[in-house]
Amino acid sequence: MFKLNLKIALRNLWKHKGFTLINVGGLAIGMACCLMLLLYVNYEWSFDKQYKNADKVYFATLNLKYNGKLATTMAVPNKLANAAMIELPGIKNAARISMPGNFRLFSHDQNHFKLEALSADPSFLQILGQKFIYGNPETALAEPNNVLINASTAKKLFGNQNPLGQLITYDNKVSLKVSAVIEDLPKNQTIRFDVLQPWAFYEQENPAEKGYGWGAITCLTLLQLKDNADFTATNAAIKNFIVNKESDLKEMTYQLFLFPLAKFHLYDHFENGKSAGGKIDQLRLFVFLAICVLFIACINYMNLSTAKSEKRAREVGVRKALGSTRNTIMGQFMIESLLLSVIAMAIAFITLELSLPYFNNLLNISIKIDYSSYPFWVLLLSMILITGLLAGSYPAFYLSSFIPVKVLKGFKSSTGSLSIRKTLVVLQFSLSICMIISAIVIYSQIQHLKNKPLGFDQTALAQIDLEGEWTKPEKLALFKNELQRSGAIMAATEYAGSFTGGGSITSDISWPGKPKNDVSIIHYRSTGFDFAKTTGVKIVAGRDLDPRFPADTATSLLLNQTAVKAMGLKNPVGTVIHWGDNPPLKVIGVVQDYSNESLASKIQPTVYYYNIKTSRVLLLKLSPAQSLSTSVEAIKSVSTRLNPAYPVEVKMISQGMAEKLQSEKLLSVLSNLFGSFAIFISCLGLLGLALYTAEQRSKEISIRKVLGANLSDILVLLNKDFMKLVVISNVIAIPIAYILVAKWLEKYDYKISINPWPFLLALFTSVLIALVTVSMQTFKVAKANAVDALKYE
Amino acid sequence: MIQLTNIEKYYANKGVKNYVLRLVTTTINQGEFVSIMGPSGAGKSTLLNIIGMLEEPTYGIYNFLGEDVTNLNERKRIELYRNHIGFVFQAYHLIDEMTVYENIEAPLLYKKVGSAERASRIADLLDRFNMVAKKDLFPNQLSGGQQQLVGIARALAAQPSIILADEPTGNLQSAQAEEIMSLFKKLNEEEGITIIQVTHSEKNAQYGSRILHIADGLIKEDMAVVA
Repeated sequence: MFKLNLKIALRNLWKHKGFTLINVGGLAIGMACCLMLLLYVNYEWSFDKQYKNADKVYFATLNLKYNGKLATTMAVPNKLANAAMIELPGIKNAARISMPGNFRLFSHDQNHFKLEALSADPSFLQILGQKFIYGNPETALAEPNNVLINASTAKKLFGNQNPLGQLITYDNKVSLKVSAVIEDLPKNQTIRFDVLQPWAFYEQENPAEKGYGWGAITCLTLLQLKDNADFTATNAAIKNFIVNKESDLKEMTYQLFLFPLAKFHLYDHFENGKSAGGKIDQLRLFVFLAICVLFIACINYMNLSTAKSEKRAREVGVRKALGSTRNTIMGQFMIESLLLSVIAMAIAFITLELSLPYFNNLLNISIKIDYSSYPFWVLLLSMILITGLLAGSYPAFYLSSFIPVKVLKGFKSSTGSLSIRKTLVVLQFSLSICMIISAIVIYSQIQHLKNKPLGFDQTALAQIDLEGEWTKPEKLALFKNELQRSGAIMAATEYAGSFTGGGSITSDISWPGKPKNDVSIIHYRSTGFDFAKTTGVKIVAGRDLDPRFPADTATSLLLNQTAVKAMGLKNPVGTVIHWGDNPPLKVIGVVQDYSNESLASKIQPTVYYYNIKTSRVLLLKLSPAQSLSTSVEAIKSVSTRLNPAYPVEVKMISQGMAEKLQSEKLLSVLSNLFGSFAIFISCLGLLGLALYTAEQRSKEISIRKVLGANLSDILVLLNKDFMKLVVISNVIAIPIAYILVAKWLEKYDYKISINPWPFLLALFTSVLIALVTVSMQTFKVAKANAVDALKYE
Repeated sequence: MIQLTNIEKYYANKGVKNYVLRLVTTTINQGEFVSIMGPSGAGKSTLLNIIGMLEEPTYGIYNFLGEDVTNLNERKRIELYRNHIGFVFQAYHLIDEMTVYENIEAPLLYKKVGSAERASRIADLLDRFNMVAKKDLFPNQLSGGQQQLVGIARALAAQPSIILADEPTGNLQSAQAEEIMSLFKKLNEEEGITIIQVTHSEKNAQYGSRILHIADGLIKEDMAVVA
């Protein structure tokens, strides 16, 4: 029986090739989209879950008062790790880790590379087991000048030699010994490094570190709980750990809590001292999207199969009269849909495998299908089953319900079943329209952020790190002169740190009229002369820092407009400001606000002061007269001559700004891509319904034609019903989409106002697409020779 | 074998009852060949459908093989289809996706006949109807008469005790029609299969042993055919 059913199913599919193509195509696209999204979700989900002790490892996380609000940070005092280890019974291991983002020069022979260096206590290797190629975790970080490197770093520095015991030069001055080599870190690991050094070395390099008290938050701390430890008790014990040591800090809250490392990647957003989602929200959205796309594809199948019912009805009738039970008939339809689902999955799978590299490239991630993992096969199989059963259930129920005598006499489909089909189409289209609207809004928000006036000129603005010879002021001055002379740059200025990155903050600045209990946070950046000239930031009052004024190197300040507003200064220029133990500082100018650190959030109050010693980068305004590559070449050649030990890396600021929209870009790409697939599949569904209607009404149309209706009359007649469905879908989708996008936009300080045009555009697009799809079918029917349809009967 | 008592069938439309059958009472015995005749709309097909349990009467009692089948559940009815009743339709109603062989095999599969038994029965039927060469063809590759032969072969496959045929020759040319009718006659006489057919044609009715004339839902005449 099963074999026969299978054979007949195959014949059926083969006989209606067009239908099969639409069906399989729709299902395959749906499945491929769904799989792709689920793979992506799984990739994000897998972050930091690979460690053996993953569920016992926590970040010590700190809540502190910041601008009147509770802020949460992973940065904690460096004293915490040891003290907690000794005093808290539940803690098995604790390790300090230096703040990430520290790129340093490492060299061996003629190989010089800037590598990300992390310093950590030796216990770090016990807490998070690493895969050692050479060396072992006990001794790897035992001596201050030990260094642990990963495999690709070893390859870069040593080629194919065994690196163990070899020497590496750190920052062109200190010699380090390679004590261990580990495998490259998987991409789904949050704590990343090329080089791992002992914390002791970090303290050697930063002597001030040892002297910091409980108030300075300078490092990350990982805590591993004992296997039998009570999380709640330890969490409660650590809460007031810092303020118990130093009660002054109570004023700024300084409360600690434990946050699981494995959750950090997905839940990195904190509000009011509590975890408030993060990337997980996006993932939930993607899971929802995946289900929607698959569901739309299933609806499609239901519509198309039941549309074929006229042809199948007689078969059902005969089978029943021959003594077939309803279950057998349902089985037949289920087998058909399962078969189709298997074929679709095969196609989806091939498509997925082929498009994965592009997808990875597009989103800059590395998703691989793990063929050896059984959850993957379970997912694949269950997706086939679910799709097959879901898609096949309605046709099976509906078609097997036919009463033989009725269908054998001549089939007239009841209007009831059509309304179910109509509901399905409305559902399908509503989902698709929601996706179109969201895609448009996301796109315009990104454009809005991209095109927002930055307040500085990002074209031809580049930065290089100040290191080696450049830390000597006279060498740096020579370098700048040479660059200017070579015509590569127009202007240059030193700057505190990477221009697109964050920087230091303080609450130690006071100004005339500052309330006593005000603990406002002010950002501060050191800079050189020609700041405005280099960056293109406008000076709205006063003047820029200038070498002609000797005081500018000691007691002059620039404020940005937000800082002026925050301090409530009427005439900022000339105002005297106090900052810690410094002599009184005078404001000499006000710069216009500019967004360099984040495109989406508010600009922070900032002060600028002259200090090239604390500046870590040199900002360069490249000459527009030369091509970019010529300028970069010139900078490289001058730098190699004057600072040979340090390979120079010229970073374009515009690139750094583009990276700020990475997460939005991801959302935009995915919503566009999968939104359009959803629309495409929905159109296939509509096409199916149009086919059905055309089939149903071919006789009616022929009669109308014989009675004198012309082509346009008939097209209007046939399309009217479909347009009604699309309009209903819009009526349902638009309010839902409005709520969704309004919620999404909430998190942006700078956002577009929601105006009607994305909605109108979606309405227009959906109607147009539907019209074209339906007309393709109805036109054929309307043009058909009336006699053909009337002859039979 | 079949006993109909006061069978009525009407469709209520806005409170008005449209009678299709009224107080039909008749008995059909094993081995009879009954032709139901009458003008269009007289209720012939409805009567046949009721006999075939494809429709239920509004009133009345229907005994099939001594069992009241007026309100039979689906499972029991399917049981009867599998073992006792073979249908032959005017429009043949073969399953387009199945070959001749598979069409004949279908009722045997539903009846769960073993494969060896199935093969021999089908071979026998194909042989009897001279269709051996055509067993792998699909219905649309056959002429109308041939399709109807397959239809009859399919009806016979399950070895039913009764064949219900609704205008079996309505779509056929007269030569083919004669062939089908002689076949029915032969089946009736040689194998004792009860046959009930609906027909318009006086000539076809002459093949049978008894004619029921129906008009306006009533049996007007019940006469034996004199050979």
